[in-house]
Parts: sequence; C-alpha cells; structure tokens
Amino acid sequence: MKFRKKITQKPEISTASMPDIVFLLLFFFMVTATIDRSQDQLKVQVPQARAITKIQKKFLIKELHVGFPKDPVLGSSPRISTEDRIISITDLGNWVQEQKTELGEAYKDQMIVMLKADVDVDMGLIGDIQVELRKHNARKVLFRTLEVAY
Amino acid sequence: MIKLKRTRLEPQVSAGSMADIAFLLLIFFLVATKFIEDRGLLMQLPPDVPPTDTPIRERNLFKIRINSQNQFLVENKVRQNLDGLIEEIKLFVLNPKNDPTLAEAPHKGIISVKAQRGTKYAYFIETLDLIKEAYYQIYGERVGLSSAEYRRLNRDNPLENEKYLRGKEGLPMNISIAEPDKIK
Repeated sequence: MKFRKKITQKPEISTASMPDIVFLLLFFFMVTATIDRSQDQLKVQVPQARAITKIQKKFLIKELHVGFPKDPVLGSSPRISTEDRIISITDLGNWVQEQKTELGEAYKDQMIVMLKADVDVDMGLIGDIQVELRKHNARKVLFRTLEVAY
Repeated sequence: MIKLKRTRLEPQVSAGSMADIAFLLLIFFLVATKFIEDRGLLMQLPPDVPPTDTPIRERNLFKIRINSQNQFLVENKVRQNLDGLIEEIKLFVLNPKNDPTLAEAPHKGIISVKAQRGTKYAYFIETLDLIKEAYYQIYGERVGLSSAEYRRLNRDNPLENEKYLRGKEGLPMNISIAEPDKIK
C-alpha cells in the first residue's frame, strides 16, 4: 500500500532583516569607538597592576605616551608622544593648555592625563613630566596599567 | 479621445547587496577603531606651590625609597622585593594595637614613595599598586567586601555608592609621590 507522498517543505530562515542587524552593529561601533589615529612611533609596554580603577568620564582623558622610539633615527632614550607626534618635555605646558581649551571651561580642571609609559622608562623622565603637569595645573594623572591576570 | 495607456516600469533598486555593503563598513569600523582604555592607577598630584614645612611626626610617615639599582628601602630597611608590603601598610595605617611607632590614627598615616632617577618605571608602579591595594583592602573590609569587589562598586547605584562612600569615609589615601632625586 502506498501512502500519499508527504510534501516536505524546506524550512528557511528569512534573511531580510540581516541588513538591519548589521546596520545596528555598525552604528554601535561608529558611536562607541573613536578612530585610532596613532600609529604609534614609540614602543610602549605598560606595566601590570591589581589595584586599578576605571574612569567614568572618558572624555576627560587625554593620552600621553612615554616609550622608546621604534625608529633608530630618533635615538634610544625614552620620548614623549601624543597623537603620533613626538613632543619634548618643554612642549608639555603648551599641550596641557591646548587640551584644556579643547575640554572647555566647565571641565578643564577635571582633565585626566593618562600616562601610558613603558615598563623600562626611567623614573627621572616620569618625574619631570609630573613636575611639568603640576606647573600647568593638570594634576590628575592616570598611570595606565594592564590588569594582572589571576 | 483615446486614452493612451502606458505601461510604466517601476524602477527598483535591488536591496540584496545592502547587507554586503553594511558588512564592509562594519568591518572597516571594527578594524579602524579602538576603545579608549581607561583603566589604571589614578593619582592626584600636589599643587605647584612652594613647599611649606608642615611638621609631620615620624611615626605617621611610612617611607618607601627605590634606588636606581631597583632596591627598596622600606622604613629604613633594605629589601630586594616587596613581599608582605600590603600587610605592613595595613598594620601601619590601622595600627590596631596602638603601637607608638605606627600611625597615630588611620587618617594621619602617610605613605611616601620616592624613586631615584634611574629607577625603572615598572618598580614604581609595582610599589604604587601595592599601596593602593592595601588601602582598597582596608576600604573593602570596612564594608565587608574584598578589595576587588570594592573597586567594582558601581557609583551610579545609590546602594553601592553608599557602600563606596562608607568604605573610604574619613580615610583618604595619603600617598605622596615625590619627584625623583638626582643621583648623588
């Protein structure tokens, strides 16, 4: 006895909403992230620490890198860079003023300088940076560190 | 009059490749972006005013010195590493047995870190980290949390904010980071 052949229909998932999903992701990334301009000229390997805290107001953070130049032309002593531009310790005051005007009157005193320094950098230079920052009243410093993996 | 019926062709844009375009853009942004890294050790530097001579009693000062050979001098004792420093700082700050050589009161204790020129940054950060960890452990213990849990408290949540404030109430992190000395 032959039964009627069942018509099997292949189940298909509609892909019509795929673009919407992808666009959503796209917008998320566009909004949350900033474009990485710094193809950094310095080698910076940040130290590890445990007692680290997170900054809530990210827009207050201004980055300063301290590390060893990758390009031997720049010498082998540690240098300071910001946004892919090598600056000297004497330019630091101007840089602070620039960043403060960028932040505006309301927030300029809350500026946080993120010091992303290499583990092998001499404390002398870090100290000089601190002196310079104090002079220009940028007194909140965040020593960028990685979290120690337990 | 005869009405001419024209068959109009509705122009249609194929939306099939939309997803591909969006993917392409998405990948571009994924690659080209970075998230601002915002974790680290936050310190407040002192204002740039000529130093005033504030008498600080010796017992309230916990001194840590690092020299250019990356050796530590903790409370005038030479050390090669910082094992057990967290416990020592906690004991110094809290002074549970009212030891006359340790801090008079928790809020009066000052931890002073001074690194010589030539010290590696890594050692300075290690020291700073241990000091902060010690303080966070104290804060955590006051509200019944571990130091990591204490740091994770979300200050936007009123309940957690209350814990956060209660933990550090009246006990600021007195950490002094002096400028490095010249090598003598």
